[in-house]
Amino acid sequence: MNGAETTARVGLGDRDRLLGWLMLAPSLLYIAALVGLPFFLAIALSMTSATVGDPSIHGFVGLGNFVQVLHESAFPLALRNSVIVTLGTLILTLVLATAESELLVRDFRGKRLLQILLILPWAMPVSLAAIDWLWLLDSEFSPVDWLLRHIHLLGPGSPLGPANHLYYYGKEWLGLGAIVAINVWRLLPFATIIVLAGRTSIARDIFEQAQVDGAGFFRTLFSITLPALLPILMVASMFTALLVFGDMAVTALTTRGGPGYATQVLPYWAYLKGIDGGALSEGAAVALFMFPVLLAGAILALRMAYRAESQGDRP
Amino acid sequence: MMKSAMKRYLFRGGICVLAMLLTTAAAAADLQPAPVHFSSKYGSMSFPASFPAGTTLTITQWSHFVPRYDKWFDQYAQEWGKHNNVKVTVQHINLGDLVPTLAASIAAGKGSTLIETISTPASFIEGLQDLADVNHAAEQAFGKQDAVCTSQSYLPLKKAWYGYCHGWVPDPGDYRISLWKAAGYPNGPRSYADLYAGGVKIFQKTGIPVGVGMSPELDSEFYARSLIWSYGGSVFDKCGNVALDSPQVVKAVEFQTKLFKDAETPEVFSWNPASNNQAFVSGQASYIQNSISFYRTAQQANAKNAADTGFSPGLKGPGGEVHQTSHVWFIYVLPKYVTDHEQTLAAKKFLLDLTANYSWATRESELYNFPAFPKTVPQLWAHNGWLDHDASSVPTDKLEVLRNAVEWTAWPGYPGFANPAASEVYNTHLLSTMMAQAALGKKTPAQAVKDTAAQVASIVAKWKAKGYIGCPAK
Repeated sequence: MNGAETTARVGLGDRDRLLGWLMLAPSLLYIAALVGLPFFLAIALSMTSATVGDPSIHGFVGLGNFVQVLHESAFPLALRNSVIVTLGTLILTLVLATAESELLVRDFRGKRLLQILLILPWAMPVSLAAIDWLWLLDSEFSPVDWLLRHIHLLGPGSPLGPANHLYYYGKEWLGLGAIVAINVWRLLPFATIIVLAGRTSIARDIFEQAQVDGAGFFRTLFSITLPALLPILMVASMFTALLVFGDMAVTALTTRGGPGYATQVLPYWAYLKGIDGGALSEGAAVALFMFPVLLAGAILALRMAYRAESQGDRP
Repeated sequence: MMKSAMKRYLFRGGICVLAMLLTTAAAAADLQPAPVHFSSKYGSMSFPASFPAGTTLTITQWSHFVPRYDKWFDQYAQEWGKHNNVKVTVQHINLGDLVPTLAASIAAGKGSTLIETISTPASFIEGLQDLADVNHAAEQAFGKQDAVCTSQSYLPLKKAWYGYCHGWVPDPGDYRISLWKAAGYPNGPRSYADLYAGGVKIFQKTGIPVGVGMSPELDSEFYARSLIWSYGGSVFDKCGNVALDSPQVVKAVEFQTKLFKDAETPEVFSWNPASNNQAFVSGQASYIQNSISFYRTAQQANAKNAADTGFSPGLKGPGGEVHQTSHVWFIYVLPKYVTDHEQTLAAKKFLLDLTANYSWATRESELYNFPAFPKTVPQLWAHNGWLDHDASSVPTDKLEVLRNAVEWTAWPGYPGFANPAASEVYNTHLLSTMMAQAALGKKTPAQAVKDTAAQVASIVAKWKAKGYIGCPAK
């Protein structure tokens, strides 16, 4: 065995640090090019007077654009609605994903079919899904309204009022509710898959032991399943929150931020100002207001996940 | 004696009938668009008879509301390319994607040679080439351009032609004849007072509401402006300064608040640009303000409904003023990233040739496209022409009301020209939002107007600092 062979043998495979960086490199490059660069570009743009006609970074205005958007009446509403839609979606998605995973972990007839049906919304493009919901909750032709009228919950003399329609997208809270419902519908399959993966990894004998000890369904759920699922639920929460907080498609295709600014959200408002309105720098400033919220959310979720994981590792 | 008199009578009668038939045939022939023709000289601009090999022209424009137009345009563009030795590529995109596509192309520094916008592209002015030469050549060749078009493609302060507007679309009032006749308005509403009185009566009797929107979309934006102008108010003054906070505008917002409470439903807050068409065609709106594209669809899909559709001019405000916004403008822009000389020249020739053949564009759009240069489509204005004798309409003069549309049509920036601030105000839906806030009771009409005026003022101040707002020095 000569010296050169020895060096080759302890080369790449044995250099953990180097190998680690090499394996991380594609992701790092991807993040730098598609996340880092646009992020710093957005910061630079937000401090200039750039427009869609002249998007070059010029005309430094400091924090002027941030002050400007803070003073607009749409801002507090857009921020409030972004938080409401994100939290509403998050809570409903996690509850439903946990329920679905509890169902899917069991064996029953038609399980495969149910799995396919549950995953379908995830396979559908968001624009198509929003258009489906646009018709489902249409102000004139909504089948939901039709059903409600037929069971006498809607229409003159009924509990939901004298009107024959609910006008979902024309009212503040119904509009926000519809946006939450669409988000839950499209994100539930992804969340369910994540939670189900965590649920199936919990050792079966723990549940059998609980059953022997006489624990009921809810006792098992709250004392065994959910604590064990906590790290994975954090991951699911983080993904769901990030996807919803940064999404503008559902709002753009349904309520368009109306009535007034009642259902406006930060991403769509940023797009409206920056692209449609032409004020690129102000649009960048609005978009950057999302960053601290997203960063804080991500850090919090990761810390909770690590904490839960390290608690779970303890003997 | 009697026999020869009869013969003479029959002979003269026959001559008369023949003359009438010949005149009708000649008139019908006159109403046909002239065969497509391409010229190498328009006014002061000259073009090569054939472009050098390898010259290309790419065009991005919307999918027209009247599909027949796209079919014709695509064939015409290929014919033009063949005749001029230019490889022409046309792509049609959704109207909502036009502005983002133009923004992305300018940011990337590459994209289509010509991009057609359907509202003023003034907010892109910094990234667009000046088309003064084409606009001047067009005026020399085709006569004066209608102000409704010039106002959306020319900025007097900078003496800049940032676009070339080849057509526009009138926006009449559209009413359901049977409903308004029963309410005592056989010719539909003619004023905003009529709209309220008749609209309320119809709503109370039939449950069918008035269909003027307050949603963040273009039709609602048009309606808000039409109402404000007809009430004697305006968003900007002639020089582009803010003029929104006025008693007239407050009165207009008060009117809309009242109209909503008594004759509309919350659906008007959730509309997209197609919604009022949909509501009207399905019989769920007594009156809307919209172009004739929905009527063309109804003629195919629901003839009974189309026959019950009447058109009216802009509505009079309390002081008798009438101003209704144009619905669409067809404005081609040539971004600064297009630097190839031959390609630029080909694009300019394409614009002028299209204008020269505009009677085809108007006919194939089923009278949706009105010419920016009225003389290019004499068939439209002729007696017994396309407008007063539309064979597909019952009665055939149903569209006659559009003949004088240019007299009551206004535009964003009115009474001045469009500018980047007017474009930003329009595209960010500030006026429909103002109306909605007042109608929902979130703000009083006066407060809604005051707050919106402050928002408009900050947009104007920003563009003024860049030198794009103001009156040209005399």
